[in-house]
Amino acid sequence: MTLGRAKSLQARLLVWVLGLVTLVWLGAAALTWVDARHELDELLDGHLAQAAALLVVQQSRADGDDDDGVADAPSLHKYAPTVAFQVFHEGQLTMRSANAQMMPMSDTGAGFSTIRLSDGANWRVFATHGAEYDVQVYVGEQIASRSTILWAVLRSVLLPLAFALPILALVLWWAVRQGLAPLRHLSQVLVQRQPQALEPVVLTDMPSEMVPMVQALNGLLLRIEHMVASERRFTADAAHELRTPIAAIRAQAQVARGAGADTAQRDHALQATLAGCDRATRLVEQLLTLARLEATSGEPTHQAPQSPRVDLAQLTRRVAAELAPSALGRHQALELEADAACWVAGNDMLLGVMVRNLIDNAIRYSPDGAMIRVVVAGQAEQSVLRVEDSGPAMTAPEMARLGERFYRVLGNAQPGSGLGWSIVRRIAAVSGGQVEVSRSRLLGGLAVQVGWPAKPAG
Amino acid sequence: MRILLAEDDPMLGDGLRAGLRQLGFQVDWVRDGLAAERELTSGEFAAAVLDLGLPLKDGLDVLQALRARKIATPVLVLTARDAVPDRIRGLNLGADDYVVKPVDLHELGARLRALVRRSNGQSQDVLRCGDVVLDPGARHVRLHAALVALSTREFDLLHALMLSAGRVLSREQLEQQLYSWGYEVDSNAIEVHIHHLRRKLNADVIQTVRGIGYTIARSQDGA
Repeated sequence: MTLGRAKSLQARLLVWVLGLVTLVWLGAAALTWVDARHELDELLDGHLAQAAALLVVQQSRADGDDDDGVADAPSLHKYAPTVAFQVFHEGQLTMRSANAQMMPMSDTGAGFSTIRLSDGANWRVFATHGAEYDVQVYVGEQIASRSTILWAVLRSVLLPLAFALPILALVLWWAVRQGLAPLRHLSQVLVQRQPQALEPVVLTDMPSEMVPMVQALNGLLLRIEHMVASERRFTADAAHELRTPIAAIRAQAQVARGAGADTAQRDHALQATLAGCDRATRLVEQLLTLARLEATSGEPTHQAPQSPRVDLAQLTRRVAAELAPSALGRHQALELEADAACWVAGNDMLLGVMVRNLIDNAIRYSPDGAMIRVVVAGQAEQSVLRVEDSGPAMTAPEMARLGERFYRVLGNAQPGSGLGWSIVRRIAAVSGGQVEVSRSRLLGGLAVQVGWPAKPAG
Repeated sequence: MRILLAEDDPMLGDGLRAGLRQLGFQVDWVRDGLAAERELTSGEFAAAVLDLGLPLKDGLDVLQALRARKIATPVLVLTARDAVPDRIRGLNLGADDYVVKPVDLHELGARLRALVRRSNGQSQDVLRCGDVVLDPGARHVRLHAALVALSTREFDLLHALMLSAGRVLSREQLEQQLYSWGYEVDSNAIEVHIHHLRRKLNADVIQTVRGIGYTIARSQDGA
């Protein structure tokens, strides 16, 4: 059946229901046919036998009439040509119906047979003989006449169906349409929606079958709304944050142009212009990293078990080596303690970004000559990355707000966007790590610890 | 003209200070809201450039506190917050101008001069007193249409006096308007500049009010 390909639900339902009704009806008609035919055969065979019996009796009575001619019975009814009989007496045809042939209709001496006769039609013939065997009687009936009767019977069964089917189809079409009205209503509601309209779909008198679908739809709308809101916030934040570096670049460039003969001022301004460009670039990179992270955070933040494993110790060594020059440039002591390999599930690039942000923050926000200590340790229950510094201590509310986008600790002179922390927290969440911020007991400044639960071996 | 710059971003603050100085402003730079409020309360500044996202105290709070204390120093808000409701809120809280970053330095200077001019009840940028015409934008002074060469201090002193034409300014007030922080001001510096101005212009342009200070008479032609 090709019904499955029907595109309209209404058409599908119609085709199925009408098809099944027709099948059932045809089945009923077939049963009627078989049954009626059986009964009809019995009845008409009975009539043939009785007619033969009558003819035998009549012939016995007529014995003695010596008449060499053949008596042709008159045809008295329009159906008469479909029945025929022959009476033979001592091998001689003595009586026949007008349409009967001269030769015996059947080879069979007695009983029923179905034969094709010389007129080309199929006949049902009953043959019998008298008590003394000198009388032989054949009574026949055209099979076609039986079929005519059968068809008449069947017509009475099939005709109403033929008429009823289109009417049934119309009624069904209407009923299905009524039944599907809520679906149409839903589609209308959705079609008329503005793309910005993301509030949940509310339908009155919703059938129970549609409730899960509409609920799923509303769930999707809610997720889209969150995503759009987050995108908007992100764009607004990004535009806002880029204004200050751009303003600084513009001001410094104008100062350089207006410096005239004051070469010292011009050099300073040009240096500041370049620094401003670097800063804007860094901000854009951070924004993009964050945007990418947020785009991947739609799913719950659990790593798939087959995610690659990264040696945190080696990774941290590499990043610390890259950042060491800027620490040295500020006379800071950067110290790494990562002796044994420490495997963590996660993306190599992302974890690198996180470690870089943590160490970079420590260097950036600690004064010249400060001490920065980085520890990577694989403990029994968790793998730990710890970055401590001897920079300024933070109050508890300040620590709590770290990681809010664009939150910057008041009064620090370092240019920064406050995005680094958002990135650190995001990556930790994506890789299943926990970030803890506290006061460093060892160095007095900030201590940041990221812990990943130790994975079972294998 | 002495301006207070309140901006927490080191690079932008540095650029604005240098740029406004090139345009002839005396610029003092503070980096947080509390310092901005404290300095503006002292009333030594002709105008202020105020960032809104300041540490310790938000710019709008500073503005509100100033206006509540009836301090009318013109304030130009320079901010990254560009939404219309932000602008309306800033202006309603007493900002005299609202400029969104980034801004052209020359435009910023022109806007500051306009603010100072308006706060002194003048509608033209060019100041006129008898035969003396002072153009703050071009930093020119003309006497009988001929350019007069003045030092920076002399120009600023004349500018301050002409802005307050008709009022007497004390020596301390003039010192505060002329010198930004970190300058050692000689006790007779103002007298020396006045003396030079009288020699270069007319002896009777600047009048001394004994024991109080100096003044320039309001121009008769009503410029």
